[in-house]
Amino acid sequence: MPDFTASVYQNEYLAEGGTDVHAVVSVACSGAGAAGQGEGVEAAEIIIVDTSGSMDMPPAKIAAARRAAKVAVGEILDSTWFAVVSGNTQAQMVYPLRPSMAKMDAQHRQEALQAIDGLRSRGATAIGSWISATSELFSSVPSSQRHAILLTDGKIEGESPDALPAALRAASGVFQCDCRGIGDDWVVEELRSIASALLGTVDIVADPEDLEADFEAMMRTAMSRGVADATLRVWAPQGSELLFVRQVAPTVEDLTPKGTQPSTLIREFPTGAWSDEARDYHVAVRVPTGPVGSERLAARVELVVADDVVAKGLVRGVWSTDTNLTTRIDPAVAHYTGQERLADVIQKGLQARADGDDRTATTLLGEAAKLAHEAGNEDTTRLLTKVVEVVDVEAGTVRLRQDVAKSDEMALDTRSTKTTRIKRTS
Amino acid sequence: MTSDPGAATAAICPSCESPVADGDDFCEACGAQLTATAQAAPAEPVAATATPRVCHVCGGEVTADGFCGSCGTKARTERDHWSESPSTALAAVCDRGIAHARNEDAMAMGVSDDGSVSVMVVCDGVTSAPDSDRASLSASKAAREVLLDGVDGAPAGGAAAIEHWSKAITAATAEANHAAVAIARSLGDPPEPPSSTFVAAVAPGSLVVVGWCGDSRAYWLPDDGEPVMLTVDHSLGSEMIRSGMTREEAEAQADCHTITRWLGADSPTPISQITTVEMTAPGWLVLCSDGLWNYISRPDDLRTMIADHADADNATPLTIADALVAYANEQGGHDNITAALLRHT
Repeated sequence: MPDFTASVYQNEYLAEGGTDVHAVVSVACSGAGAAGQGEGVEAAEIIIVDTSGSMDMPPAKIAAARRAAKVAVGEILDSTWFAVVSGNTQAQMVYPLRPSMAKMDAQHRQEALQAIDGLRSRGATAIGSWISATSELFSSVPSSQRHAILLTDGKIEGESPDALPAALRAASGVFQCDCRGIGDDWVVEELRSIASALLGTVDIVADPEDLEADFEAMMRTAMSRGVADATLRVWAPQGSELLFVRQVAPTVEDLTPKGTQPSTLIREFPTGAWSDEARDYHVAVRVPTGPVGSERLAARVELVVADDVVAKGLVRGVWSTDTNLTTRIDPAVAHYTGQERLADVIQKGLQARADGDDRTATTLLGEAAKLAHEAGNEDTTRLLTKVVEVVDVEAGTVRLRQDVAKSDEMALDTRSTKTTRIKRTS
Repeated sequence: MTSDPGAATAAICPSCESPVADGDDFCEACGAQLTATAQAAPAEPVAATATPRVCHVCGGEVTADGFCGSCGTKARTERDHWSESPSTALAAVCDRGIAHARNEDAMAMGVSDDGSVSVMVVCDGVTSAPDSDRASLSASKAAREVLLDGVDGAPAGGAAAIEHWSKAITAATAEANHAAVAIARSLGDPPEPPSSTFVAAVAPGSLVVVGWCGDSRAYWLPDDGEPVMLTVDHSLGSEMIRSGMTREEAEAQADCHTITRWLGADSPTPISQITTVEMTAPGWLVLCSDGLWNYISRPDDLRTMIADHADADNATPLTIADALVAYANEQGGHDNITAALLRHT
């Protein structure tokens, strides 16, 4: 049986008249088991490989894609529904041959591996149509845990600009999707929008040689998600305003716009499937102020699996005139507030740089360098130094580099939302 | 599950299932009352949360985790706010107030089996000493038991009755002090032991014998005639008044509330001063903690306020005590509040 825990990190003390309560709620899962093993749960996996013409330039890309898809098929557990799809101007079945899904066993695995060897590249990139076709395939099997891996090397050009957003609206809640961009001709924003809408990850694989290992790890993680689906439920009191709910670890993802409101005081946010992992959420609520000495529940944060509350954290507000108590900022809240800002300044800084606004780019990326340094965010610091030359990290002074590899810039952009977890002292 | 209710219910709180110590009256974790009343039938396990609790701020339903399901206000525990009314003439309300996180006030009311003798005890735990809420509650209950035990064989009136009940108050104070000291012992004798003020009154008929130790007060407020404060605070404020300040001036001083007598392990004089009064006319006997008299100190003001509330439809000593506590909370509720009222007719 999976076991969930929730821990709340906050300074609950508010000054007289204070209204805004911030907390980091850390949810951890252990004993998740494996995908499709829960009672009444069948898992389904679809691998979507870009086979547009550009995948042949150089041919190493399509070759790497074939190898990676085969490694991923190798990781899929027996009895899991699966399919392999190739995408160019439209989605085409690789395995099974007709639009359907197969149940994984030795024979189907062997057939799928052979079919993948036949992948050839030609045509354009129409990711919206691939997403729509994948939704349909998933809907053809009695599965309640659906996950896809999508690989592309280019930007969308074979369909109208509305096709992808429309496909994502329809696919939201149907399946989760991890996205990978190979090379440097794809668009970070396109893949990020897919990963965000479909509760998945996004990353760059600059070197085709790295694709196999990445696909293996992704599928292994998907197969370790023994909790098919979970919802983050946030109660906030009458008269309050839920300012935001953000996942802040392992990546920054604003959940606020994804919320539904099943009743007046409750918002629910999808979190997808869980493996043995921990995720941190930054919750901010504006509550009616209370008399000094009084205590109010500002938010009750629960993780709900199959209608059962499996973990609960209480976010409280206590009004006090003691400034020693009210002026402290909780270290976890401070840390993640900085990490959220870091992701924001990297993305805006890179956009300014692309727009030719070097002054804004220098200021924002300088702040990013400072924040990453302060938080001990070494990966981000390393990625940043490929785009800027750090003059004074404490002051956040940088100079923009002139000859920046496009893939380095894309890596910085893609990974800007990855956070470090705060070191906790116990 | 064992069928022995004593063994089954002693170890955990029936409300939140936290472990509780033998003899605790309230759960340390959630504040739920662990024993229904002193007179509860011991054979039945206590169902402390059988009825849904209601939020004291908005009237919403309190959820299992102890907060209002509507406005989120932390629900009052039974230790935070409770009332007792053992007869139609006697009632008391004990309340956390607003500014304090814990209710260190306590009280215990009682009436003899034949209804002729009323017993009132109010204790105000010293906030600066941790666990004073436990000391004050334990002391109140101990004193009530001693005073109720004094009913058997008490002289009917006259000097003999005064002597009997004065001794009973002295014994009740000693037992209350013993209870407070026992809490300190159970905590391993902390450097700042839990401590409490004490005021008790016993009213066998029209006679009232009052004993006090600290700055909790007793008032006799006849409907007609001069209302009086029966006690003189054992506090620096009182000493200021003795040295020439007006009451208003003294009560405005920061250290007015520094008490010079109290119950507890570190008390040099855990002894009650005793006074008596004959209730010769209908009126109100009031015991209270400083959480009330901070806002309404003068006997005539208190009498007027009580009379106003007594005029309301269906007024009882309990509704009036509730109204006095509500008044103190409206003024800021800066301290715990206890108001105990006995109607003499």
